[in-house]
Amino acid sequence: MNMLHRIDSSDLPRAPLQLAAPSSALSLELRSVTKRFGAVTALDDVSLEVRAGSVHCVLGENGAGKSTLCGLVFGTQRPDAGEIRVDGKTLDARRPADALARGIAMVHQHFSLVGTLTVAENLALGGLHRRRGVREAAQRLHELGERYDLRVDPNAVVEQLSVGERQRVEILKALSSEPHLLVLDEPTAVLPPGEIASLLQLCRRIADDGRAVVLVTHKLGEARAVAERATVLRGGRSVATLDLDSVDDDELVRLMVGRDVGATGGAVAAALGLTAGSGARPIEAPVSTCDGPPAISVSGLTLEAGGRAPILDGISIEVRAGEIVGLAGVEGNGQSELARILAGAQAATRGELCLAGHDVAELQPRELAALGLAVIPEDRHTEACIEGLSIAENLVLGELPQYSRFGLLRRGAIAARAKQLMSDWDVRAPGPGVAMKTLSGGNQQRVVLARELSRDPLVAVLAAQPTRGLDVGAVVGVLTRLRAAATRGAGVLIISSELPELLATCHRIAVIHRGRIVGEVLPSEPGALERIGTLMSVGAVQS
Amino acid sequence: MIAANTVATRATATLRPLTIPFLATLAAFALGLVLIVVAGAPLGDALRALQDGMYGTPYALGASLNTAALLALVGGGFIVAARCGLTNVGGEGQINIGALAATAIGLHGAAHLPPPLPVVMPLAFAIGAGAAWGAIAGALKAWRGTNEVISTLLMNFVAIGLVSVAVHEQSLLRQPATSAQTLPYSPPLPEVSHLALLPLGGGAQGTIGIVIAAFVLISVAVLVRHSAFGLKLRSVALGKQAAARAGISPGAMEIAALAIAGGAAGLAGGILMLSTPFILRDGFSSGYGFQGLVVGLLARGSATGVALAALLFGFLDTGGISLEVGVGVPSTVILIVEAVIVITIAASAGLGVGRSKQRRVVS
Amino acid sequence: MNGIQLAAFIAGGVRLALPVLFAAVGELVSQRAGVLNLSLEGMMLTGAFGAAVGTALTGSAVLGVCAGMAVALLFAAGQAFLTVIAGANQLVVGIAANALALGFTTFVARHLLGDGAADRFAGFDKMRIPLLHDLPLVGEGVFGQSSLAYVGLGLVAFTLFVLKCTGWGLAVTAVGEDAHASDRAGTPVRLVRTLAILWTGAMAGFGGAFIALADVHAFTQNMTAGRGYLAIVAVIAGAWVGWRVVIACLVFGAATALQFQASALNIHVPVALLVMSPYILALLAVAGLVGRQRPPRNLTLPFLR
Repeated sequence: MNMLHRIDSSDLPRAPLQLAAPSSALSLELRSVTKRFGAVTALDDVSLEVRAGSVHCVLGENGAGKSTLCGLVFGTQRPDAGEIRVDGKTLDARRPADALARGIAMVHQHFSLVGTLTVAENLALGGLHRRRGVREAAQRLHELGERYDLRVDPNAVVEQLSVGERQRVEILKALSSEPHLLVLDEPTAVLPPGEIASLLQLCRRIADDGRAVVLVTHKLGEARAVAERATVLRGGRSVATLDLDSVDDDELVRLMVGRDVGATGGAVAAALGLTAGSGARPIEAPVSTCDGPPAISVSGLTLEAGGRAPILDGISIEVRAGEIVGLAGVEGNGQSELARILAGAQAATRGELCLAGHDVAELQPRELAALGLAVIPEDRHTEACIEGLSIAENLVLGELPQYSRFGLLRRGAIAARAKQLMSDWDVRAPGPGVAMKTLSGGNQQRVVLARELSRDPLVAVLAAQPTRGLDVGAVVGVLTRLRAAATRGAGVLIISSELPELLATCHRIAVIHRGRIVGEVLPSEPGALERIGTLMSVGAVQS
Repeated sequence: MIAANTVATRATATLRPLTIPFLATLAAFALGLVLIVVAGAPLGDALRALQDGMYGTPYALGASLNTAALLALVGGGFIVAARCGLTNVGGEGQINIGALAATAIGLHGAAHLPPPLPVVMPLAFAIGAGAAWGAIAGALKAWRGTNEVISTLLMNFVAIGLVSVAVHEQSLLRQPATSAQTLPYSPPLPEVSHLALLPLGGGAQGTIGIVIAAFVLISVAVLVRHSAFGLKLRSVALGKQAAARAGISPGAMEIAALAIAGGAAGLAGGILMLSTPFILRDGFSSGYGFQGLVVGLLARGSATGVALAALLFGFLDTGGISLEVGVGVPSTVILIVEAVIVITIAASAGLGVGRSKQRRVVS
Repeated sequence: MNGIQLAAFIAGGVRLALPVLFAAVGELVSQRAGVLNLSLEGMMLTGAFGAAVGTALTGSAVLGVCAGMAVALLFAAGQAFLTVIAGANQLVVGIAANALALGFTTFVARHLLGDGAADRFAGFDKMRIPLLHDLPLVGEGVFGQSSLAYVGLGLVAFTLFVLKCTGWGLAVTAVGEDAHASDRAGTPVRLVRTLAILWTGAMAGFGGAFIALADVHAFTQNMTAGRGYLAIVAVIAGAWVGWRVVIACLVFGAATALQFQASALNIHVPVALLVMSPYILALLAVAGLVGRQRPPRNLTLPFLR
């Protein structure tokens, strides 16, 4: 079941602009490409073909090698073996400028814009041999904006734009170089459901103009909506190249994940962007009934923004012990700030914040932790853990007085504790002294969970985007552990933009829009996904 | 068997990073020999003079170790700050401000106190002044986000200027003017404040400053690698936000790190004051601060590295003087040799970093 | 102080500011691209040295200037190779390069110029621009400098224009702010940084040549005497904005002039305080107490893909 229906050319408002005679020429060809990073093989003997005028999807869960593939095509990496051909000729790109010169453009997942410059200035950047002035760039912006219905103010400074607007700029920048091949790396990660459809239509339109479009994603639903063919990557290998019309979802999931998903089907499907079909279990009712104070209680929380509209405007949420509450919303509507305030990293302008009945509005993160609050921060790389330190150091960093004597570290005790946590929480690594940055995303998140959820007492859990960037196995693991924490009596608040995952895990889902809670939806309701989607985009449900 | 294996592996691991600096030193030396020939001095005499100047006589040995001690202090402080991700370029200024404080206390008050205070007090004040000077840059970083490379660089010149003002003004630290030719120097510090000499024999002038420096360097090594404080410094350097969440205050750590670095350099300034010629004047620090900075940068965070680099440059500096005095080869030859060593090591470090980068596999 | 003294003060201030200005504008380009050239002092010294030797050997001051710039360019090329291509730490290389320049120029000067190092040689004399030169107060200061000065000012104007108004200047700014994003946009990051450093070398060499030929007409050991560092400070004090750097240089020039003329003008300020004032001003600037700004985000960070 999918919110996205199949898009074809007849949906588009304008006739396609044919750039070149339609041909079945191969825009992009990878032949037995291999790429290694030290001992790890990121891509192993991968081959694929993309024709001009088509949308080709590279499907794979997080960790399958998709980003590496993008890097090879765009020139930030060079293959160790194999050949890449563009328009029939070998590509030997040592840097992005080489790829651009061959007509390849990329829409990066984390954008490639210089924040302090304006939109037009960003477009004017490029190989110095192409002397394009800022004024010309603004003109180009206007033309492209008309053609593809993407409007942005050319004089706006990029770092002041919203995430969605920045992505628009990123796309326009990619298009402005008149590419023959456009690669989009996980473009829908930051968009609400409504805008996802527009983006996919845009991909279709670009392909119909005679270009080749490669959509790199882990969302099956999106792939089906717009691509004709797909290559499935798993563990760095290409396991299948097929016409999307010829397989069903279950088969695709099996190809992507590599095993029969069985009982965890709901969560897995959710992780891959499919709404829970009939295979999902309904979630059990919360364990405890409401005795005692709620685990988390937020009332009238407001965060002023000095001159502009408040970032948070009178937020009130309650999470009872044993309950799992989801908070859905498009990025940039105040969730990040709310998460930081709840975690004690930022102060609200006014409002009440209680943890199991204690007033905690003024407390520091360390004190909150002592009271039983576990926080899984949004940005794993900078907020949750310190990648340069070892696993053991990350695990004990908040409790150093306990692990030092006369100021010197008790390395033996630290190692012992780390080993125990690693074993209890299934962290796969050579040892506790290994640096965090050598771990995969899933393992890193397991370390974070180990540190946070092993607290005693565990009163409340705040998880912000806990499954971002994780492979399916890790996603399932995280959601399972969060459920287990609730079963043990903690109140769990999950802030996420992955709707299918929230639907599969939470008892109820609140929606945040422009700093306000605009509604609450129960997953068991029919049409829950659509309602949430509407609330996220628009802020109110039209009846 | 296992133990022997481990010893062998650890020995190789310690020695391998030394191959580049070793080769660099050799190459630079070769260049130096060429320059000596160009300067017209007989090679054999020049090398002998250099050797004598470095460690040939007890006097030379003492002088070399004295210089090495100063560089080790500045370098040691540098690596503490570096552990917190901060680059202290302010060694020169911190030496100056430390010397200023030491001279002020030494001339006005410390002399009449019971021993060992006439030595301890100036040194303590030197540490304090240097620490305060470093802490200012740390505070600027913590509260205003000011890049510490820039702020410590600028504060160098301010400190040098303050010393200049002090030795030019009668009302401050200038020696009493007996004629129009009286130089802008401070009067010499009284004998009770002179640092004791080490019993190295043969007229050597090595002071207990060497012992102090060794002690400080060992403490730095322990602090940086084995203490909770060291781990906190590292966590702030590698992940400020996550460290804050763990209850560590990044601002406090940054101020502390630069204060320690400044204090160590200030101590060097104090030791310099309490050694011959015991006079504060313009340019007394003659580049020790910047040399100490280079020592710190080359050591790449290792206290052993600081010790080795400090010894290398300490001996070369002293040897260079003898080269000039003995055979008339300008001491700038040594300056050139040192610069080439540094550049070679820095270049190879840069290339090495690029090659062996361990990449985490990202999807 | 009367009009004549003031005019002399202005003339002196401008003259002292000029070499710092040339070097500072060159350094501005590097810093905007993310490179901190601590070796600016060495570049100027090498330029002065090259100009002195060139003039002494050929008898022509113009060739001397070219020689000075050429030698400084070579020096800058070395710096560029080490910093951009070898990826060495900018600070280490800068300090070591300064020492190298000082050692080298002193060593060679003693040999080539021998004891006649203090001999004066051909240089650039002052010009008199008709009419404008006779303006009261500023006439001599602004319009009575040597011809080399006006060439230099032309270079300054050209550099600032390129930085602000052309695609190259945009590339420089982008690389200094976010080298990785610029790389992904196709900007040749390494090339931009290398060219920036080379331009700094050329301008610094010009500044050094100016000191040797238009100011002092001689070469003495370490004759740049910290003016390279002062130029770096001017870039900082000017908040990395072209016209502000120019103002900073003029202010520093005035402070330097004041050092020499304070007693004559009956102003009792310790010379050392005047010497310190540029650095204190710059400190206040970076502490954000005199206007809010921040350095290019990638300053001192090497670019590793």
